[in-house]
Amino acid sequence: MHLSLVDALSSYLATPGKSLAHLNSVDIAVIAIYFGIVIFIGFYLKGSANTSEEFFMAGREMTAWIAGLSFVSANLGSLELMGWAGSAYQYGILATHWYWIGAIPAMLFLGIIMMPFYYISKVNSVPGYLHLRYGDGARALSAVSFAFMTVLMSGINMYSMALVMKVVLGWNLNFSIWVSSITVALYVGLGGLRSAIYNEVLQFLLIWLGALLVPVLGLIEAGGWTNLKHQISARMGSEYIHLWSTTGHFNQNPMGIHWTGLVFGLALVISCGYWTTDFLVVQRVLSANNLRSARMAPIIGAAFKMAVPFIVILPGLLALTVLPYHLVGETQAVATGQHSYNEVLPLMLVRYCGPGLLGLGVTALIAGFMSGMAGNVSAFSTVWTYDIYGAFLHKNATDKHYVAMGRWCTFVGVLISVGTAYLVQHAASIMDYVQGLFSFFIAPLFGTVILGMMWKRATKAGGFWGLLAGTCTAIGLFVWVHLDPKALRYVALSPDAKALAEDMYRALWSWLVCVIVTVVVSLATQPKPTKELEGLVYGVVPLPVEHDDHWYQKPIVWAGVIAGLFVILNIIFW
Amino acid sequence: MRVEISIWFFGGLLFLIYGVIVFFEGIWELSHPLVHPPVLNNLHAPIWWGALMGIAGLAYTVKFWPKSGR
Repeated sequence: MHLSLVDALSSYLATPGKSLAHLNSVDIAVIAIYFGIVIFIGFYLKGSANTSEEFFMAGREMTAWIAGLSFVSANLGSLELMGWAGSAYQYGILATHWYWIGAIPAMLFLGIIMMPFYYISKVNSVPGYLHLRYGDGARALSAVSFAFMTVLMSGINMYSMALVMKVVLGWNLNFSIWVSSITVALYVGLGGLRSAIYNEVLQFLLIWLGALLVPVLGLIEAGGWTNLKHQISARMGSEYIHLWSTTGHFNQNPMGIHWTGLVFGLALVISCGYWTTDFLVVQRVLSANNLRSARMAPIIGAAFKMAVPFIVILPGLLALTVLPYHLVGETQAVATGQHSYNEVLPLMLVRYCGPGLLGLGVTALIAGFMSGMAGNVSAFSTVWTYDIYGAFLHKNATDKHYVAMGRWCTFVGVLISVGTAYLVQHAASIMDYVQGLFSFFIAPLFGTVILGMMWKRATKAGGFWGLLAGTCTAIGLFVWVHLDPKALRYVALSPDAKALAEDMYRALWSWLVCVIVTVVVSLATQPKPTKELEGLVYGVVPLPVEHDDHWYQKPIVWAGVIAGLFVILNIIFW
Repeated sequence: MRVEISIWFFGGLLFLIYGVIVFFEGIWELSHPLVHPPVLNNLHAPIWWGALMGIAGLAYTVKFWPKSGR
């Protein structure tokens, strides 16, 4: 009976009109086992999510390894996996910047500098920190924008995955959307953050298990890394295989970027903004069982993040030489029926993986999507319950009431995400706008949080007006370039700049405006008494001293090792 | 007493199950060649990849086998 169920599911999924690959019963069984285990984990952990501390913060019992893997896994959504593999095909090795300089320094900064403040203040969320540091205005602005954008991004991720599954495997779009989102709603709604984190760790392992064969077999087919570089150079140009040497001018590289944008816009602002203030990822680290684990978690996450280009960027580069056809942009793909850049990872899976392994690879893609969505939904549920509902709408309710609200919120968050996925299906251009919108809030928020942590003179009014001014600047610059594309020469400092360069400079300007306004308004307003800043600001009270038995247990040592590796890798691929 | 199940046990179990499935699929393909084989099928990736997954999964499953907890 069990076999017939698998066969029936298999025939339902694998009856496409036109698709590149068909899954057989073994593949479907592999996928079904994955779904069975994640739902089991949700039910198993239901009993460990009775109080708000357990449901929203996983009881603050996670070890450094679990928090670290979950930290990096929550970020590995379907856009992150398939989108950046597509970008590697489109722009070459430059896409690696989003995994290295666009992540590693910020993750180490979070672990070494910022984590102690988040952790010892015992806040439940990033807006919660803003509440303690700047009051209700900054908290409300940050919480509402985060909650809104998080579920929208989740919907976009969902649509991206469903679209690729439809094109490559011929899966029904509605089936992909509903089955995956109901599963996420079930396991997060039942087991809370602990269940989301457990599944994220599992999903991270699965992503590697399913995707690792592609670069290994691809390198064998291409004749090794040196041969691959020669082939890419001959076909596309040497700018496709260098990380830094072509970024001296906007028109010397396929991405249209400049090193100043990479260093100041991407590394200093966007990446620090995302990895240190986006609650989606920070929530995972806050669940750590002690300060040392909380500091080690982002460092462990950074080590794994640095390895991700091997399974994401390398397949994109390999596709440039081994695929017998050319991939095109999404719009052209829809018009001509060709395959788009975003499909490069599934296409490479289909190229190298037969029955069983293909199911494993598809499971890896689904796991990537689900870990991203669970991250979004659990963070949404926490911020809504603690920072909007509990802070402004229904204060002083019982703990049980907030847990119930969190569970309902998980389902509501999933439903809004599904709605967004359908909205995007009918108006694809929304996707670009929403992704742009997300960056509007992250860059100024980093300015507000970092000033709050490092400068005790920053005031409540300074924080609020700085955040608002930075956000308005980002939106204003976006609208300006949208209405008059020639404005790009001012916003991104060159008429040769392309979309990604514009994002970097827009983030940099909005962050600068946020910092300047915060400083000016703070100096003109009454400072908070020092006593109220204890545990929130650098230098007000000494941070707790950690006692490690050996030198090699110190987070700073491991951060140094990761930083050294990061520098070496950048030099090797210069 | 509640039995504590470690996340690493779940990971090990999943690796073990997938390893066994993929390995035996690879063995099956030796006697029943695929009609549309993937590129580099001659390397028999399912056999060695499945075996590696299975061994790693077995090690973790045994090491983190659930025990009675607090």
